[in-house]
Amino acid sequence: MAETEISKMRQRPIVRLGVLLISHSVLVSVVCFTAGVLALLLLPVLAKNTYISENALMPGSASSMLSNQEISEANKLIKELTSLSSKPSGAAIEIQGLIAHYMSSLDAEVNYHKFHPQLNQFHPLHFFSSPDSGVMQENSSCSLYGINIVGIIRAPRGDGKEAIVLVTPYNSVKSSVNEALSLGIAYSVFSLLTRVTWLAKDIIWLVADSQYGEDVPVAAWLRGYHTPAFSNLGTLNTETCHDSNNIDVLKGSPNLETKISNGFRRSGTMAAGLVLKVAYRNEIEDSLCIHAEASNGQMPNLDLINIVNYLAVHRQGLRVKVDKFWSLLNSKFLKILGDLFELVGKLVKSLNPDCKFGIPAVDYIEGAATLASSLYYQALGAPTGPHGAFRDYQVDAITLEISPHISFNKDRRNDFLLQGARLVEGVVRSVNNLLEKFHQSFFLYLLTSPSKFVSVGVYMIAFALLVAPLPVVAASLYAETHDLFPTSEKDRSATSDDLSSVLGSWKWLNSAKTTFVVHIWGAIVSLLPYFISHNSNPTANFRMWILLSVASHEILRWILGSPFSHICGRPQGEWAVLKSVTIFSFFIGLCLMSVINFATAEIGALLMVPMALMAHPLKLDIRSRSFKSFLRAICNVILGVISFPPATFFVLKGIFEGSFSGTNVGDFWNWVESLWAWNSATYLYIGMVHLPCWVLCVYILLHPC
Amino acid sequence: MGKFSSTIIGFKKYCSVGSKSLAMVLFWLFCSSISYTASAETTMHTNNWAVLVCTSRFWFNYRHMANTLSLYRTVKRLGIPDERIILMLADDMACNSRNKYPAQVFNNENHRLNLYGDNVEVDYRGYEVTVENFLRVLTGRHETAVPRSKRLLSDEGSHILLYMTGHGGDEFLKFQDSEELQSHDLADAVKQMKEKRRFKELLIMVDTCQAATLFSQLHSPGVLAIGSSMKGENSYSHHLDSDVGVSVVDRFTFYTLAFFEKLNMYDNASLSSLFTSYNPNLLMSTAYYRTDLYRRKLEEVPVTNFFGSVMETIHTDSAYRTTLSRKNSKKVKIKLPLQQSMEHDERRLLSSNVQDQTSDTKTEDKQCPFTQMLNTCHNKMEKIGNVDSLVNYGLVIMFPLLVISTWLSR
Repeated sequence: MAETEISKMRQRPIVRLGVLLISHSVLVSVVCFTAGVLALLLLPVLAKNTYISENALMPGSASSMLSNQEISEANKLIKELTSLSSKPSGAAIEIQGLIAHYMSSLDAEVNYHKFHPQLNQFHPLHFFSSPDSGVMQENSSCSLYGINIVGIIRAPRGDGKEAIVLVTPYNSVKSSVNEALSLGIAYSVFSLLTRVTWLAKDIIWLVADSQYGEDVPVAAWLRGYHTPAFSNLGTLNTETCHDSNNIDVLKGSPNLETKISNGFRRSGTMAAGLVLKVAYRNEIEDSLCIHAEASNGQMPNLDLINIVNYLAVHRQGLRVKVDKFWSLLNSKFLKILGDLFELVGKLVKSLNPDCKFGIPAVDYIEGAATLASSLYYQALGAPTGPHGAFRDYQVDAITLEISPHISFNKDRRNDFLLQGARLVEGVVRSVNNLLEKFHQSFFLYLLTSPSKFVSVGVYMIAFALLVAPLPVVAASLYAETHDLFPTSEKDRSATSDDLSSVLGSWKWLNSAKTTFVVHIWGAIVSLLPYFISHNSNPTANFRMWILLSVASHEILRWILGSPFSHICGRPQGEWAVLKSVTIFSFFIGLCLMSVINFATAEIGALLMVPMALMAHPLKLDIRSRSFKSFLRAICNVILGVISFPPATFFVLKGIFEGSFSGTNVGDFWNWVESLWAWNSATYLYIGMVHLPCWVLCVYILLHPC
Repeated sequence: MGKFSSTIIGFKKYCSVGSKSLAMVLFWLFCSSISYTASAETTMHTNNWAVLVCTSRFWFNYRHMANTLSLYRTVKRLGIPDERIILMLADDMACNSRNKYPAQVFNNENHRLNLYGDNVEVDYRGYEVTVENFLRVLTGRHETAVPRSKRLLSDEGSHILLYMTGHGGDEFLKFQDSEELQSHDLADAVKQMKEKRRFKELLIMVDTCQAATLFSQLHSPGVLAIGSSMKGENSYSHHLDSDVGVSVVDRFTFYTLAFFEKLNMYDNASLSSLFTSYNPNLLMSTAYYRTDLYRRKLEEVPVTNFFGSVMETIHTDSAYRTTLSRKNSKKVKIKLPLQQSMEHDERRLLSSNVQDQTSDTKTEDKQCPFTQMLNTCHNKMEKIGNVDSLVNYGLVIMFPLLVISTWLSR
């Protein structure tokens, strides 16, 4: 006895702390989870003001050189474009020719880039892989193609190693006034930049043919830009279609032929990409909306957003917005929370005037709505605009969506163009000052307003608190079933013989096998859409998917054995071991996901952790007939329903859209389709971490013990 | 040898190099502690050097280059020739592709003055501006291949202006984007310079954040230091040129230049008037100056002693005879005024602006202490009348001393 006491004394403090946590796992998990949710709700309060971190940028230090002269030139272009697009047909080529003509008249190098759009197809092996290298997809037909127009200004005294890219999506087949306006803004900036002496980086203006979507032409051009073909043979391989007649038509006017080339023109590495769009949104004042999320929750460097925000607010007087969930603005829950935090903030301030905690309730609601949107779009893993394609090449890019005042007319148009063009000029001049890639500021952040952000160091806390109970509970469950607690050590040595204890200590292997089988099934479910995505009806697709999933599950169980068929010495403890292994695998999955796409892991943890922690066999709960266990059973059933991914989707959709009417079963399929179209890791997470965990939890709920 | 053989005013005695070594020993016995510092004071101010350093790279540090070039222009205007200016510029803003005005550098948004005109000789440029090269320039430890134009060829009578600007912090100054010069590096270099007798007086002027901290390790006599800001303070830029798109000058330098713009080569503004001209409200920092290592009164030192090349010149009746006496003595520069003062009764020390009658009267009112002491010394010499008798007296005193010391050592 004395020896064991000494050994206990000798235990290191960290071990003792671990044992303490494990023995109070219920308390720990409740406290940690509550704290995690609270930390998440506190994020809008903890958001810091953005600041321009890179010294070299110096936004707004130079006065704008753009004058009405450029604007009147741009107006001329807009007028010609609108008159051409009003013609019935065949105008597309004329419009492209017109744009190229305007570009080349500014002494810019111009070339056409022909691309073939790729259909959205599920490529299970393309996750995380780099974008396609040059090889054209088989399924794109030769008749489908778009033409981008690229204009390049070479920096007069620059080294030509770097470039800034301006992108204006333009649909030449079905053009709108908005797109013509965005072209006008870009043109006025472009014409100014051909004359300035301070360029250190080349300027590339890409007029992206957006008839197959805005992202496709940009992605195609970027792919071409980054995969140079060094020989004619290479170009033959990549260009399997030879119908460049239309481009020849484009080069009709002979005097321009020298400047407009068919070959791919390149410049240096891209310092930044700016996608310019104009939208009518019936705004009360001129405003600018910044979209920044790229694939898999990657964000451009915060400095890029900062300079745009700074210039728009302090130089051009635009109101800057980022995406937010409008429905959350009216949420009563957030209002109450906002009031509460405001009260707490005041209280803290009265105690310690130096402490800056708490923000007004209105700001809190705004911040929370923006934060939720920021978190959601990052978690979705699909880019929110054509800038997403740039991020695949590690280029920082954002989309600027400028929307004019509600009373927009001809007179105001010049002011609007001037404002937009000066903003773009300012951003270009600021990025032009840059010496290296954007690297000073944050890459991992969530926005709570255009000028406030939550950095990774802060939002990590919420996630860490959410997942912290998982290993504790897993260890505690394991320890319980194996009587590993020091308190019961005496009993165990008295009752059990050696053989059963040896068998018992390997009992977890059986549960691990079950978990493994379910995860394999998850992988199969994730691959199934590859085979059924040919059908165009989303509802039918979705049903097919469910059916196939269930069938594959049954087959797997039949082949690899039922998880419950095994008879062990202690059947009452088996569910606990299963739960322990489930929780542990889920924990590993979440941690891996947090590295790939943090927002997904955060939302996933929020949705699934309570279910994983609460899961308890329903039979046991009903048998015990106490109020507490009854309550637990009800909670488990509710959580079990909600945590099923499609159910979660519909519930959240209903909450955010305010009504459940009009929801269609096919919506989920469409949503998932959008995920794999963008090669989002979130899809993999749902299929291979979230769903298996849910299924295992259902196993535990229905455990026949 | 030489430094002990110079005149010690406190003792009002005179020893020539030609006197015997016993006299030297005696001399050393009496005044070994004081003689060291005294040598610097007795050395005549012979020439002026300026080392102007811009330590920072990159386009957004345009103002540092503009600072340095402005000061370069000022010291050149006030009379330091190009061959005595070591100009170190860490980057080339004039030819930066972001410069709206190619090959021009301005320090004011009015663009009236192009600092990068025809006559700018940059000695160290770009990546040549390193801590190592800077310390080599100061200490004179160059590789043999380094041309004379890149060396600081000062002597023990030189006044050196060392101007540095860039980004600094607590006890360091950043060079380029990778290195830093620490305060003890600077102090060590200055100490070496003192040992190697590379300067008589050194004015260190630094325009960085927390500039005062850079002087904390200095111990060498004859060093005067002025910095743009105290510890914990930032130095700010003065104004932004919205045409070029960068800040073009720092506040401290701007007000320094404003002070010098009013001056010409013949003005007699003192260092203290420069130092008091800094207004902390305009600078947005507190200019700090360290004078404890400096012997002369700041009120009596004209700024042109450092920022120009104005020094006291000695009018001699015959240049030929001076050169004759040089042949006789080994320590020419030190001895020269003293010998002359003995041999020629009508010798006067005049400042170089002797042609300017108005300022001439001023200089006579405000003679430097050294000159005054020389005059008194001169008078005493005349009373004694004969040097040989003085030496003989000294030898006579030596014998009893020698006897006493040998008797004591037994």
